[in-house]
Amino acid sequence: MTELDVSQFCPKGDVLVVAEQILGELQPVTMELLGAGRLLADKMGRTLKCAVLGYNLGDMPNKLIEYGADVVFVADDPELYMYRTLPYRRVLVDLLESLSEPPHTCLLGSTTTGRDLAPRIAAHFDTGLTADCTELDIGPYEHKSKVDPSKVGLYPNCLYAIRPSFGESLKARILGPWKNPQMATTRPGVMIPLKPDPGKKGEIKKIPVKLLPEDYRLIVEETIREASKGIKLTEADVIVSGGYGLGSKDGFDLIRELANCFENSAVGASRKVVDLGWVSYQHQVGQTGKTVRPKLYIACGISGAIQHRVGMSKSGTIIAINKDPDAPIFKFAHHGIVGDCYHIIPEMIRQFKELKKAERGVKAVVSTH
Amino acid sequence: MAYNIFVLVKQVPDQGSKAGINPDGTIDRARAKRMLNPFDRYALQAALHMKKAYGGSVTAISMGPPPAVEVLLEALEHGVDRGFLLSDRRLAASDTLATAYALYKTVTYVGKFDIIFCGLQTTDGDTAQVGPQLAERLGLPQISYCEDFSIQNGKVQARRIIEGGVQRVLTEMPVLVTVANSYHPLEYKSFRGAWRVQQLQRRQDELKQYIQTVDLDIVGADSERCGLKGSPTIVAATEKVGDIGGNCTMHEGSAPETLVRDCLANTNINEFLVTSTS
Repeated sequence: MTELDVSQFCPKGDVLVVAEQILGELQPVTMELLGAGRLLADKMGRTLKCAVLGYNLGDMPNKLIEYGADVVFVADDPELYMYRTLPYRRVLVDLLESLSEPPHTCLLGSTTTGRDLAPRIAAHFDTGLTADCTELDIGPYEHKSKVDPSKVGLYPNCLYAIRPSFGESLKARILGPWKNPQMATTRPGVMIPLKPDPGKKGEIKKIPVKLLPEDYRLIVEETIREASKGIKLTEADVIVSGGYGLGSKDGFDLIRELANCFENSAVGASRKVVDLGWVSYQHQVGQTGKTVRPKLYIACGISGAIQHRVGMSKSGTIIAINKDPDAPIFKFAHHGIVGDCYHIIPEMIRQFKELKKAERGVKAVVSTH
Repeated sequence: MAYNIFVLVKQVPDQGSKAGINPDGTIDRARAKRMLNPFDRYALQAALHMKKAYGGSVTAISMGPPPAVEVLLEALEHGVDRGFLLSDRRLAASDTLATAYALYKTVTYVGKFDIIFCGLQTTDGDTAQVGPQLAERLGLPQISYCEDFSIQNGKVQARRIIEGGVQRVLTEMPVLVTVANSYHPLEYKSFRGAWRVQQLQRRQDELKQYIQTVDLDIVGADSERCGLKGSPTIVAATEKVGDIGGNCTMHEGSAPETLVRDCLANTNINEFLVTSTS
């Protein structure tokens, strides 16, 4: 099939991003979604809309415009102060039904909130939803399969929702051009936000909040933010992870000590040691844990099974320490040290301290001048 | 109070095993080693815990080709009371929306329930969508990412994970709960449970009283809304992602001091060190 100039087709519907805020704090994934959504909207020559739900949102709608939105729908109501599935679902369903045409594309973050909310909206509208996308694009698609003759045809502007599948050894391009909105969630930290433009003009529209009695079936009794309890794995620049090769729970004292040598660092762990209770689930990196991409990842006593690898293989620099020279982790790490963690890590910490001392020495010399 | 507790389980290919993994990275499901979706182990534990602590019976429900009965047998070994398998060729290539529809019809067919536990996601799809989509079809409130729960005056009180924290919620039943893997790991099956299922497998007639296989017609599902036809999404293309790195610089065979020095000299690791403030 020859490449089509998709811009000649005017698709129906705009691009809608559902913003995410927690207790008045706009989540980074929202700016990333606006960056991705802007590219899609421009490619189709449509507008980028954004819906934000919450209470006392203040200047937030303007911020969304600065980050790329043309139109911001604002639902500001005490009932929306904290995220709850049913009230948020109600407001968004009502918004989508009130539009003269459904959006072409609807994007949410694949956070605990987005993954809770997006499937409800998609199921309500009987439309397709692709989870955890790492790339989005607009392009043509020709459906030839005659299983369902009503679907056969050439679709000039489809949302390409691209995501890793089967443990990330494959990338799948998932399409659903038969019904709008075509929905997708994207992984936090993957899409690139635009630089905020304080001069950008946009339109802010208040939308009604009309909840039904059944929307109140769940009450949030308490929300506890754990931001103060150390740096989140997904936001750390450096992650030091420990695995079963450490031999015991005590090994994590060493892992923490090494992590403390770095700025903006966090402690990670393999599935096995989390299952054994050496550290809590919040630290788990991998398929059933978190997907991380720090600038530096140090894997200590981790063999590097596919389940772990899929959660960290996109890290900037990967350094692996393992006794076994044949450990799979050495197949995809950038630097491998073959040795006992209990010898290598203390030596590493010692050399860091030495470096620091040397640095301080230099500074002291400079300051005497 | 005897609660009707449902738990949804799925059989997935064992990705830790090399069997059935094609060179292009796709799965040959017929040859792949099969296992209970690891996330469902937490859902199963939650269902069994609820039965033990508050009373009631546990029904496990699965959808898949005939071999998926294995995960229902496994659930039975762990103490589940009965199982239903929805198996139908017309379900092939169902996406999450079509799957949620088929499960909705099955759940409704099986009967009255107070609570449905699901795993957070599956390891072969990784979408975490089917639970909430099923809740939407059933018109239920949901508690996703649940990591602990108790029943207080007939209501479910739960702790769920949110971005950078946790939330305590309270809701009435019926409710759908997706269980996070920070919940208690599944306890080992009892010898008695395993023995009982072993005996049952020898008496297929009796086994049928515990595990029923149903199809789309029995549960009253519209086949147009299942399988490829009922799926709004399709996989249009796949491509293999190349191995990253692949050129690991190895440091071995010397004293730790030399190994570490060599490694540090060849990386940008120093850039990330805590800058001294004193």
